[in-house]
Amino acid sequence: MRTLGAALVIVLAAGGAWLTARAAAGLVAAHGETAPQRVPVLGGLEPPTHAWNRYHARYYAMALLFLAFDMEMVFMYPWAVVFREEGVTAMVEMLMFIAILVLGILYAWRERALDWA
Amino acid sequence: MMSPRAAAAGTIPRVRAPHTLLRRLAAGAPARVFLIEGRNAPAESARLRLSPLIQLVDSPRWASILLVAGDLPAPFAEALAHVHDQMPHPRRSVLWDAAAVAPGAQRVDGDADVVAAALHGWQGMLLAGTVETETSWLPDVDPAPWRGVGPFGQGGEGMMGGVPYGRPMAQTAPDRDGLDLDQLDVPIGPFFPPLPIGLVLRLALQGDVVQEARVEANGFEALSAAPAAVERGGDPFRRALHAPVSLSELERARAVDHLQWSAHVLRAQGLAAYGLRVLELAESAARADSRELASHALGVSRLRRSLARSRALEPSLAGVACLGAEAVRGRGLGPIARGCGVAEDARLHDASYTALGFAAVTTQGGDALARWRQRLAEAEQSLVLAARAGDAHVAARSIQEGPRGPIAPAHTPLAVQLALLPGLLRGAEWGDVVTSVLSLDLDMRDVAAGHSAPVPHEAPGDA
Repeated sequence: MRTLGAALVIVLAAGGAWLTARAAAGLVAAHGETAPQRVPVLGGLEPPTHAWNRYHARYYAMALLFLAFDMEMVFMYPWAVVFREEGVTAMVEMLMFIAILVLGILYAWRERALDWA
Repeated sequence: MMSPRAAAAGTIPRVRAPHTLLRRLAAGAPARVFLIEGRNAPAESARLRLSPLIQLVDSPRWASILLVAGDLPAPFAEALAHVHDQMPHPRRSVLWDAAAVAPGAQRVDGDADVVAAALHGWQGMLLAGTVETETSWLPDVDPAPWRGVGPFGQGGEGMMGGVPYGRPMAQTAPDRDGLDLDQLDVPIGPFFPPLPIGLVLRLALQGDVVQEARVEANGFEALSAAPAAVERGGDPFRRALHAPVSLSELERARAVDHLQWSAHVLRAQGLAAYGLRVLELAESAARADSRELASHALGVSRLRRSLARSRALEPSLAGVACLGAEAVRGRGLGPIARGCGVAEDARLHDASYTALGFAAVTTQGGDALARWRQRLAEAEQSLVLAARAGDAHVAARSIQEGPRGPIAPAHTPLAVQLALLPGLLRGAEWGDVVTSVLSLDLDMRDVAAGHSAPVPHEAPGDA
């Protein structure tokens, strides 16, 4: 019963937050916007094409590299818990693990995966 | 999104009068002004930036006051209306020594401090509600309603169906990775700080990379027919074409121009406080006694050293907008050519300058950083010359060296500078586009009648 009460409180709080956010948005919204204001600022000219367009997400290689190292971080969490009892051996083993992965970073750096501009 | 209540109320917005304390706090803040300097703008407008009462902003969306200083030609009227309508309410437009652009615009007069105080007062009145906000100058009509051809408004031509608000969707074009991606046709209009006022660029943008750039016709040419517009009384370089002018005054004006450009570049690169320091140095040099000019030259030299030491601008300027020496030689490009190592200067042919030991300063490199260093070195050289000149006068000649290159009664360097732009901008990212355009120091208002005639190239030894 207590958990049900807690869940109810959470639902009501979320609903209240939603209503508050809507009311606040209504207060700060730009009222009375005219058609000339619904155009991006280009310095006085009208854009001939609509602004919706696709552009190349050239940072995707960097994002994949981050994922790989995120998985390395996952391995470091349980290591961090037992590392003090295990002593220097654990430290050295983790350093070897990281060193192998750093070689991967150096390779990516040389292959210009970090230079997406 | 407009709430249904506001939509039903029509287009005149109700500006809620804020609480008194909030009102007073807001009115005490610097007034945000979008400044447009046209032809024959009052010289005091350069000092507006130094006033603590106003803040000059780079976008109409951040402004509450539109200040038009100087004359704008008729082709810019519609662009001005767009910029005015993009300002959020409450807003006001103010004219300073300008022809009327719309009914109801207020006028101000006086020097920079008087105008700044007036604008600050206007903002206070707008926020207090004592003054009505201005309505739109353009009709509240979308170019076309959002409606396709199907029974529910869906479908039609274009990639996602339909032509939303009358603007077709972007089509694809090859990009630098060998893919076919969307390309937007973006016109960057005449009033787009920090780009020069009056410059209209049509860019083919993919993401933020410019695939192709075109420079549209200069709207300020419509003003060149007016006789008073051609010879600005306050411009010593134009005066020197017809009558002898004090060398000290000429070199001081040149140094002030270079320093104001440097401040503009610093602001555009994000170093606003540095830009203000340089602007204060420029203003103090413009007003100083001729005995104090030597100390201003020292000030510029200290500034150059501190900027070079801090390497603040190298990441943004180095390697950007490279020009080869062969591309600029013999075309009358002044500091741009000297920034590529080409020692061309109309002052070399002038006896008053050679008597003072004038030698053209050049910088190697040809990129934006070289041009930056070149202009600062020339500013220091000009102040040193101005301090040493005494009563020397420059004789009236048909070609004089202006701050942007050699000028003649019917010629300015502007056309040649604009011809360089498409090549510089191709393949550049947006940040480099702004850097490249600013490194050329274009002044679109500097249009003389018959500007298409090339300046005759002087061989060394000519009088």
